[in-house]
Amino acid sequence: MRARIVPAIVTAGCLVWAANALADSTREPREWLERMSTAMSQMDYQGTFVYVQGDDVVTMRITHVADDEGVRERLVSMSGAPREVIRDSDGVRWVLGDDHSVLQDQGFNRTFFPQLPLDQQSQARRSYALKLGGTGRVAGQPVRNLKILPRDQYRYGYSLWLEERSALLLKWELIDSNRKPLAKLVFTDIRIGSEVNRNELQPSSQLKKFRTVDSRLPAGRGQVSKVPRWSPRSLPPGFELTDQRFYGPQDDAVMEHLVYSDGLAAVSVYIESAQEAAEQQPGLSALGTTHAFSKAGDGVSITVIGEVPAITVRLIAESVAPVSP
Amino acid sequence: MNTESREHISSLMDGEVSRETGRFLVRRLGADEELCGTWARYHLVRDCLRHQDGGLAGDDLAERIRHAIERESVPMTPRKAYRAWMKPAMGLAIAASVALMAIVAVGPESQVADPAGTELAGRAEVPPFTSPQSLAPAPVSQTASLLGTSAGDSRMNAYLLRHYQAAGSTGGKGFVTFVPIVIKPAVPRAQPSDPVEDSEPLPDGDGSARPQ
Repeated sequence: MRARIVPAIVTAGCLVWAANALADSTREPREWLERMSTAMSQMDYQGTFVYVQGDDVVTMRITHVADDEGVRERLVSMSGAPREVIRDSDGVRWVLGDDHSVLQDQGFNRTFFPQLPLDQQSQARRSYALKLGGTGRVAGQPVRNLKILPRDQYRYGYSLWLEERSALLLKWELIDSNRKPLAKLVFTDIRIGSEVNRNELQPSSQLKKFRTVDSRLPAGRGQVSKVPRWSPRSLPPGFELTDQRFYGPQDDAVMEHLVYSDGLAAVSVYIESAQEAAEQQPGLSALGTTHAFSKAGDGVSITVIGEVPAITVRLIAESVAPVSP
Repeated sequence: MNTESREHISSLMDGEVSRETGRFLVRRLGADEELCGTWARYHLVRDCLRHQDGGLAGDDLAERIRHAIERESVPMTPRKAYRAWMKPAMGLAIAASVALMAIVAVGPESQVADPAGTELAGRAEVPPFTSPQSLAPAPVSQTASLLGTSAGDSRMNAYLLRHYQAAGSTGGKGFVTFVPIVIKPAVPRAQPSDPVEDSEPLPDGDGSARPQ
């Protein structure tokens, strides 16, 4: 009897061990992603980094503080025209140094820091393969590499180097589906916690000379309806509706804003009355790795924007149609 | 989950609940998946905050990283070799795990199961994106910069800013999301030979992808 029981216990033990090992192997990359998300939003950090995209090499500085006053953040270019993005409880202001203006938008006031829900990460696993890479050193710190590889050509992937203890992002690479690097970001100096100089959250004094311009998009949080009035008839695999706002009618101006995400990438779809967006030029636009595609028809203007390949925004825009009642 | 539940969880983490309440909350954690998820996230936050005074900065950090950028190579340390005495046990465990994976592979979650280390896994399994409507190869105008000065560009900038707000830290990238709008204005980048932006026909098909 004992001769049968002992192997059975050993086998069962091995199965339990193997089950735990398997669970660890699938859970660990996800945990790193969760830790990074938490660190990037909840920690205080400040640093200078270099951003490389194509022939452009730009030095920027980030100051990020999360305390009783909420999350406050200032991202500023250290070279060229004075450009910066300021995010706080008053919303988001985008300093366009070239024409000495500050663009402000109140559309998502106080809600601009959504956390990444766990279920979104499950969603992301359908569209990406998460691969925990080796250890190494970046910026003199021990880091762990996390690769997020797209399963198709409709989204980009990422190679992330995270500080071992805090999971703070120290190096970031955007890659296409062939793993060709598209953009890169590397910190050259970073401080965390009590070392952060909060004075750097203040906008630069020269901004007082700049004019403030409203985005002219419908303000407020908009209405949330169960069924959008317009929507894409087909989407790349993995993309699901995560947010929708309907504004109007105000002076015949109507805007529908739909946000689709695959758990990591997000795409906005804007549908506006044609006369409201009359100046919008049709076609494809790009800002770095962010693409937009606009078209007009049926009395509306449709624009799709996201940090996704050009083909993705174009295909989504082409399939937008009214939803049958 | 209501605010009271979150406060109870927070108190439990801080050891500020009575023994009876603690037992009750532990039982709830075992049965309530959402509460359990909140518990896990609170621990993540606490762990991160505890590491805040760890001092990532060093006096020569900037110089070292600048050199790192120039080299652009991150030496990866290979995993330590397993000790010889572990090999028999590892062999047995691997055999057991293979058996277990065979069971998992035929389960209902097998399409989602995504073991670490999968290299662009599933590329062939993902159905190609097709449109339910027949989309003619439409010519696309040359790619323009999103940062311009015309009225249309202003509209696009507004769209862009609101998109970044709405997308927020999707994917946990935080400020990285906003970096592209701080770089200098992009120049037109489409070329006549660009297969995606200028000449590639839009795929059409039978709508087998994901009709909405």
